[in-house]
Amino acid sequence: MEQSGHLAIKNLTKVYERGQVVALKDLSFSVKKGEFLVVIGLSGSGKSTLLRCINRLIEPTSGSVSLDGVDVTSLPSSRMRRMRRGMGMVFQHFNLISRSTVLTNVLTGRLGYTPVWKSMAGWFSKADHELAMKSLERVGLEEKAYVRADELSGGQQQRVGIARALMQQPSLLLVDEPVSALDPATSNSIMQYFEEINQSDDITVLTSLHFLSLARRYGTRIIALKGGELVFDGLPSDIDDSRFKEIYGEEAEEVEVR
Amino acid sequence: MSSAGRSTKPLSQLINLLGRSLGQIQKAWEPFIVDFAIIATTWILITYTYSWFTRGPELATYFLVPWWLFLIGSVEIAVLWESFGVSLGHTLFRVRLLGADRRPPTLRQAVVYFFGWHISALPLAGLLASPPLHERWSGLRFHPLIVDSIRPRPWYRRSIGIYLMALFVVVSVAAVGVTITFQNLVRLFSDAYRVAPLWRALVNPNLAILKDSFSDLIVTIFMAVMATLFATIIAVPISFFAARNLTQGAIGRTVYTILRGIMSIFRSIEPIVWAIVFLVWVTSAHASFAGVLALWIHSIADLTKLYAERLESIDEGLMEAISATGASRFQVLRYGVVPQIVNPYISFTLYRFDINVRMATVVGLVGAGGIGGRLIAYLSGQRYANAGTVMLLIVVAVWAIDYLSSRLRSKLL
Ligand SMILES: Nc1ncnc2c1ncn2[C@@H]1O[C@H](COP(=O)(O)OP(=O)(O)OP(=O)(O)O)[C@@H](O)[C@H]1O
Ligand SMILES: [Mg+2]
Repeated sequence: MEQSGHLAIKNLTKVYERGQVVALKDLSFSVKKGEFLVVIGLSGSGKSTLLRCINRLIEPTSGSVSLDGVDVTSLPSSRMRRMRRGMGMVFQHFNLISRSTVLTNVLTGRLGYTPVWKSMAGWFSKADHELAMKSLERVGLEEKAYVRADELSGGQQQRVGIARALMQQPSLLLVDEPVSALDPATSNSIMQYFEEINQSDDITVLTSLHFLSLARRYGTRIIALKGGELVFDGLPSDIDDSRFKEIYGEEAEEVEVR
Repeated sequence: MSSAGRSTKPLSQLINLLGRSLGQIQKAWEPFIVDFAIIATTWILITYTYSWFTRGPELATYFLVPWWLFLIGSVEIAVLWESFGVSLGHTLFRVRLLGADRRPPTLRQAVVYFFGWHISALPLAGLLASPPLHERWSGLRFHPLIVDSIRPRPWYRRSIGIYLMALFVVVSVAAVGVTITFQNLVRLFSDAYRVAPLWRALVNPNLAILKDSFSDLIVTIFMAVMATLFATIIAVPISFFAARNLTQGAIGRTVYTILRGIMSIFRSIEPIVWAIVFLVWVTSAHASFAGVLALWIHSIADLTKLYAERLESIDEGLMEAISATGASRFQVLRYGVVPQIVNPYISFTLYRFDINVRMATVVGLVGAGGIGGRLIAYLSGQRYANAGTVMLLIVVAVWAIDYLSSRLRSKLL
């Protein structure tokens, strides 16, 4: 196959039937193993749609996504589920089971590896429990294992989200605006977890971010979307003032988040 | 390619086309149906009240004119209202009849619209055209209402405001006039002594019948327990197929529509009517069984709706997150949906149990077992002191269960 790299996206298009919105227009790019790729763009530019088309939480209209040479878009649903195990996902609003304990939430990361009948009763293997405690240790939450998820702060909840994604032992992490619900200091500490995971586990990270300053600081490469089209693909240092105005419009001004 | 699954089958294209033109017809008719209904209702109310007062209750009539004249008249008034003014239907569906570039209609356009409507709507065929013929000829069509900076006229100066006010007055007069007479009011105050023993029994119960009444009360409560329990067992699984967000695709949508339809029909038939049906069906020898069936059917319909509406408002983010881990459909239900609905479901079930205890008494009144039967027997035998004792028991039991269930429910939220 002529696909270069780890994740290859070719001519990806998404049209939402309702309202005939073209959210992604003929998008093509590829990602190398171990990259920390940041997707930027205005609200509504299609960042969330792109990330969800990769693990097919949203069904693309046309085009293809392939991971390690496997065409994800053509997989039948049972094989798609196996494929998803290798793609962790972290969300803007954390999306935890608020009434359950932190440990249960983290264990759900193993659902793809657990027989259905066992998981119906809430049984996870001993190895899974050990892995869960290890993941929690990595995000510094081992003491909160038996606390209800909705009793945690936003930053802590996002760390649970990260631990859940780690449980999948993914090769790719899809992250949708992980810090837009958090304050600047917490944002940085969350981004550092992603940086650490990216570097020490060699997990490819694909994240959308609202703040360019964070994108510059953590990304090894940046792509920018505008109206569903790719308008920039390059190094963080390549985004100068005129590039910035191209992406965000003439009126925009850069805001610093430290 | 992913687009392979979306092949363009001619049949599905036809269905789509049909669906689209049906959608258009629906859009064109929605305001009209509302206007027609409200005008017809007003007509009936006015003529009924008028003839009730002028000719007396026995000779009161609904239309004053032949029924076909009534129908044509209501249609004409509705279309006139829609062609030349802003009707109730327009307001309700937030549309305005406007020309190109949202220009207000001229008199000529309105006249063309009015007559064109008859030509295109009466044979129905003209509605299938897109846009419908009367819209094409007049150049007027429904535009979504845009609230702009122009201050709207106060409600009492708009045709709707005036209309609704008039309707309110008419309905009030009609309701009072038709249901209440002066003699009724006099009796309400002068004949209270007839039921005095009933009130007296509330503070001074007849202990002799207390024991038997109590065992009837237990039967009533068991009827409620049975009905609620078995209704829950049925309604929980059904609710998943009656929730809009969980039923996708052509088959899912059809199942959803049918289930919701059946449930709303079942729910609109009161338990007391069901009780009479089942008394005939299973014979009144098994009275309390008929009562349980009546409550059961109604509870299934009610609970399915409550459950399904809760399902429709769940946070889809959690479902997304669980799906993203590679979980199967059942696992997504178990971890993405169930944790969000357990407590509300229990709360709805308790609430329904509450209702069922009260309803079990009511179905007893028509002979479907339990304490209601005893109550109606005492009342019709004019043994008011005994009836009062039974009522006391019912009040205490209903109050206690109501209190307990609301305490439990507030814990669950
Ligand atoms: N379910 C949907 N149905 C119809 N249109 C949608 C749907 N979801 C998103 N869209 C549209 O698709 C476009 C892209 O949306 P998307 O959520 O991907 O943007 P985004 O870049 O993530 O924005 P934000 O920064 O606000 O999260 C928008 O115009 C949006 O209105
Ligand atoms: Mg988004």
